[in-house]
Amino acid sequence: MSVERERLDADVLIVGAGPAGLACALHLARLVRQHNESGGKPELSTEGIYVLEKGRDIGAHQLSGAVLDPRALEELVPDFAKTAPLDTPVNDDAAYFLTASRAWKLPITPPPLRNHGNYIVSVSKLAKWLGGLVEQAGVNVFTQFAGAQLIHEGEAVAGVITEDKGRDKDGKPKDNFTPGYELRAKITVLAEGPRGSLTKHLVADKNLGGLNPQVYSIGVKELWEVLPGRIKPGWVAHTLGWPLDSSMYGGGWIYGMRENRVSLGLVTGLEYHNPRFDPHEAFQRFKTHPFVRRILEGGKLVRYGAKTIPVGGWYSIPRTYLDGCLIIGDSASLLNSQRLKGIHMAIKSGMLAAETIVDALRAGDTSAAKLSAFRRKVDESWIGRELRSVRNFHQSFQHGLWRGLAHTAVQFVTGGRGLVDPMRIKAGHEQYHKLNGAGPAPPRFQGDGVLTFDRLTDVYHSGTRHEEDQPCHLHVLDTNICVNRCVIEYGNPCQYFCPAAVYEMIEEKGGRRLKINFSNCVHCKTCDIADPYQIIDWVPPEGGGGPNYEGM
Amino acid sequence: MKILVITEQRDAKWNAVSSETLVAAQQIAAAQPGSRVAAVVIGKGVRGLAEEAAANQLAEVLLVEHDLLERYTPDGFAIALRQVVTQTQPDLVLLAHTYQVRDYAPKLAASLGKGMIADCVGYRAEKDHIVFVRQMFQGKTAADVSFTGAPPWFVSFQAGAFRGDQVARGASTAQVTAISVNLQAEQIRTKPLELFREAKQAVDLTQAPILVAIGRGIKAPENIPLAEKLAKLMGGELAASRPICDEGWLPMDRQIGSSGQTVAPKLYLALGISGAIQHVVGMKGSRTIVAINKDQNAPIFEVADYGIVGDIFELIPALTEVLEKK
Repeated sequence: MSVERERLDADVLIVGAGPAGLACALHLARLVRQHNESGGKPELSTEGIYVLEKGRDIGAHQLSGAVLDPRALEELVPDFAKTAPLDTPVNDDAAYFLTASRAWKLPITPPPLRNHGNYIVSVSKLAKWLGGLVEQAGVNVFTQFAGAQLIHEGEAVAGVITEDKGRDKDGKPKDNFTPGYELRAKITVLAEGPRGSLTKHLVADKNLGGLNPQVYSIGVKELWEVLPGRIKPGWVAHTLGWPLDSSMYGGGWIYGMRENRVSLGLVTGLEYHNPRFDPHEAFQRFKTHPFVRRILEGGKLVRYGAKTIPVGGWYSIPRTYLDGCLIIGDSASLLNSQRLKGIHMAIKSGMLAAETIVDALRAGDTSAAKLSAFRRKVDESWIGRELRSVRNFHQSFQHGLWRGLAHTAVQFVTGGRGLVDPMRIKAGHEQYHKLNGAGPAPPRFQGDGVLTFDRLTDVYHSGTRHEEDQPCHLHVLDTNICVNRCVIEYGNPCQYFCPAAVYEMIEEKGGRRLKINFSNCVHCKTCDIADPYQIIDWVPPEGGGGPNYEGM
Repeated sequence: MKILVITEQRDAKWNAVSSETLVAAQQIAAAQPGSRVAAVVIGKGVRGLAEEAAANQLAEVLLVEHDLLERYTPDGFAIALRQVVTQTQPDLVLLAHTYQVRDYAPKLAASLGKGMIADCVGYRAEKDHIVFVRQMFQGKTAADVSFTGAPPWFVSFQAGAFRGDQVARGASTAQVTAISVNLQAEQIRTKPLELFREAKQAVDLTQAPILVAIGRGIKAPENIPLAEKLAKLMGGELAASRPICDEGWLPMDRQIGSSGQTVAPKLYLALGISGAIQHVVGMKGSRTIVAINKDQNAPIFEVADYGIVGDIFELIPALTEVLEKK
């Protein structure tokens, strides 16, 4: 069906209003103003800068622990300590090793987990605040619009087409049908976060992948309000061990926030061997450990969410520049998985992209060669120094926790080189062990409704909502694979790894069928990442849909 | 206190919530000695309804008829009711928070320079004034709101805030007084077109006093007629939780829950429904909830007034048999 789209022309189009996209927009607006004020030619305008955000508001889809290293924020907003919505400075940090019943505090908190000088924040609140600054600076942020497709012209990226609105579940136009806008831009910045939908296709189509494929972890998080005195604000704890076994990468976090709030969650590498592993269930069990239960008992669940994290690090960074396009933030693998920190790098990369863009617009040259300056800036900045020092960290855990820690120790004293450099890794979805006739699946976790919850109850607390009458945004290439092959080889892991109970295999008289409850989706991208056959393609649903991660 | 109740009808049939508004008025009047309650019936050809309303305990029923009020228009109703209010000088004007009221009542209140407290869930009679209670932030908090300044005060109540069957009958029939209003065709700026229902929406579950709802426990579409028969025998409508409508076994307009309808019937019978939050938020306002489920740990039992841990395929036929004998 050939569609007439309305066309808009921008100078810069930023896809994603997270820390990276917003830092880019804010810094760009400033640089543009400085350029004009100093009489620079050609004159540039902030009106030509657009930011797209698929969530209902800025911050709606932002989720993290989070402990923020403020160094980038300080560069972006020097008076951040007074004006940014920082929850509380970290005043005590600890690392624990958990067994099923005990919690062993490590006598020394490992240096990467030391957080003095950092702040516990809600990344959603941070994004909201940054969004306010961006709009004040004269940049348009279009919420409830997603980037559905890239516009290519020859080798160049020429812009983005936003999603069609108002199609019914069979794809037919409804009364309120509006085709997506054709947003053309001299430079498109992809700041979509982990496993961005546009980024994924661009990297695959143009062969932009780094030395290693990108690998991901899933973080399942709950925000709780607990009884007074159960936790000190500013206390940051990280845990290793139970409920994950030593073959799995991951760990838990518990952060004490102001007003008796607690942010806690469990991160699990999406490269585990057991295809029936359920990251949501593992997190629920984590809460039953006496160490955690003591904090939560008597409290109540405020919000739930889940999101993936790109943990591949330095060697998974794709080529971040093309004709007319830059990739920044989590989409560019700029995250330090050892310190569990990416927000500071997202912000800094946004600023470096802004500098690159202004130079390119001034010179009237948006070619890959000109934009490659972005990668050089990243390499020469503290982002490069920090990521190089942990460049083999995540990969060293592919043979288990203990070998990983041993490698890490050697990397620590060799500036990141360690025993093998570069250490290669396979994509997570290739790491499943086939079921090979293993017995029936264990019953699904129910939760007690007080301390632990089933996924549906948790999804309710994520505030996720979608227009019901729209096409399903989870494209499964061939459901015959699900019903005939996957069921035997892997037992349909989508039913287990999705933290929002989107996927269900239904037994019916005629056989088996995959049922997709897309309106539960919390936009974490786990399915796109962890599906063993890589036949699930996550595309943005109608803008505005998705979770409401207020305070997360 | 003089209270004026604006009732709602279409095609000479009551919107059921009107009796709830009457109850609200009667209760507020009872707390304030010397109060009188009058009801307004507005439309055309609705004298019969006015006479029906007059059987309730009211000081009088005001019949407001005009050719231009035959079909609802916001201008027509706001202009006509403004004249009624100006003429009768009530202290409190009560309405039900229906779609129609949302459309014209703010306009009506504003035309008199008065405020409106909308979608209230209750009230409290304080020493010298009434405090109205409304919900904020999607029901997370309740706010006490009261009027400052002179009457008339406009208030709308949420459906289900009062029990329509508690309306007190009058010892004698109230007087039905016709009030004439001035309306010119030029004053009405909109022209109502044909009323239509989405082809799928054959039933409005919010108006049903009894609902029999089925969940995954029904197992197959072939079993639905069992529940349907039971619903009919009970004088109720069939409803469903999300999985049933998702499968297409029942149309979407039967769905109860956060992505379906919110209902508050007198009786809600939940058959084979687990009681996930998404469903419960759509029916927890029901007066009486009865649940049947095989699983004794099903969350539905936490909101049910009566629960049976059992097999619906045993209990539906058993209930049906008992009702058929009656």
